[in-house]
Amino acid sequence: MLKIRGLECGYGRMKVIEGVDLEVGAESVGLFGPNGAGKTTLIGAIMGINKPWAGSIELDGKSINGMETHLMARMGVALVPQERELFPGMSVDDNLMLGAAYIPHAKDKSAEQLEKVFSLFPILKERRKQLAGTMSGGQQRMVAIARALMSNPKLLILDEPSLGLQPSIVAEVFEVLKALKKTVSILVTEQNVRESLKSIDRGYVLENGKIVIEDSAEGLKTNPYVLKSYLGL
Amino acid sequence: MAVKRQKAITWALGLAASVAILLWKPTVLIYGLQTAGLYAAIAIPMGLVLGIVHIVNLAHGEFMMLASYATYFACKALGMDPLFAIIPTALVTAAFGWIIFQITIRRALKAPELNQLILTFGLAIAFTQVINLMFTSQTYKMPLDYVSASMDIGDLTFGTWSFVFIAMAMLFSFGLQFFLTKTTTGKAALAVGQNPRGAAIVGIDVYKIYGLVFALALALVGAMGALFLTKSAIFPQVGSPFTMKSFCLVAMAGVGNIPGILSASILLGVAENFLRAFRGTRGWADIVFFVLIIVVIMSRSLKGRKS
Repeated sequence: MLKIRGLECGYGRMKVIEGVDLEVGAESVGLFGPNGAGKTTLIGAIMGINKPWAGSIELDGKSINGMETHLMARMGVALVPQERELFPGMSVDDNLMLGAAYIPHAKDKSAEQLEKVFSLFPILKERRKQLAGTMSGGQQRMVAIARALMSNPKLLILDEPSLGLQPSIVAEVFEVLKALKKTVSILVTEQNVRESLKSIDRGYVLENGKIVIEDSAEGLKTNPYVLKSYLGL
Repeated sequence: MAVKRQKAITWALGLAASVAILLWKPTVLIYGLQTAGLYAAIAIPMGLVLGIVHIVNLAHGEFMMLASYATYFACKALGMDPLFAIIPTALVTAAFGWIIFQITIRRALKAPELNQLILTFGLAIAFTQVINLMFTSQTYKMPLDYVSASMDIGDLTFGTWSFVFIAMAMLFSFGLQFFLTKTTTGKAALAVGQNPRGAAIVGIDVYKIYGLVFALALALVGAMGALFLTKSAIFPQVGSPFTMKSFCLVAMAGVGNIPGILSASILLGVAENFLRAFRGTRGWADIVFFVLIIVVIMSRSLKGRKS
């Protein structure tokens, strides 16, 4: 589905991503690494938020190098950004509606999709009329995930979905991701490696702009470097 | 609780002031509201652009001036009443605004705010001077007899035509409110205004929405340009006070607050006409908006410091 080869990317003169190869098929893939490793930059390059300097990005065999963000969304790539990027002055309903309204393959099925999303996050159904900006961080994260799902994506990208959430909600979010991976490809960046390893099939470790480890979830769990640096064992 | 009480006090004071003015100088209130309608109808599109595209358009009044000139010469050539020109002028101004947006403002959206201000200020000067070169600084006016319609209540006589501006202001305000909260495109525009990055990741073409909103605002400005011509003489600089007053009203209302523009306009319109009612203060009426904008900015910054 998603295929990245030799990607280089950065800001100004500073190169952040230094030649990354990464693939996501019909599976759930984790992207791990410390703060500043370049996870968000890499995702920004896929979504057309920052322009790649070199290398190729393909979606279903089509080059999407440097394509504009809204066109990426219309091609079926949904992003749940670290900063959530909701529409704070609008109701949950309107936020979700807009998740589907501009996606050609989703806008006619938005009613069905809304039911599905509400069954994943029942609390949002209770709060449909509430303004998104007045909700707690955890609930806003749920709105952001729900809004992304409204577009009925082929590929769902989540940037640090557990950041700043209380542990019970982190567990809930990863439960949802586990349930979703049957129907949608997932790429998730995380610092909470322990929790996310339960929901992914495969993972990459990104350090200083380079992939240093690539392995299955099982392999990562027993990799001595991952154990020491990310699981604290 | 405190905010609620403060609001109630403001309303009560406003109501008491209007009753007092109505009893003392009834024409002040009537003409004040008419002026308010004109100001609000012109300021609302500026508020729309500021709220969604996040651009202070310093050529706002000058766009209206261009629309008035276009209406004047079209009407004169065709022997048409400006009222019939409202919709065509709106469409032409919208198209013109869209083109100006695409070739100039769009390129400055990522630039620092000062550059954007200089750009729109430059547009304003260019528009004014082009008209000055083409038509000189001579004033033009449409002779229309329905404009001098008046009404008597008791021994009070006042002009009624300008009530049309109040109707326009209401139409713009409610129309935009409906567009922004009930239609998909309107909601997308609101979303772009609140979070352009978020809008792009749900598939909204942010720049297309910016162009659309700018054109929509210019359509309203164009309609007002045609209507303004019924009432006033036009000359190259006629737009610039409206740019300043619109900016004052939008600043008073706060970004994205269209109903707030209505109440701010009433305050400005009534205050100006109040000063005009006395011989000694007549000349001061045109600087009321300066005083208001200073008071607003001071009170905002004081509030900001407290919280």
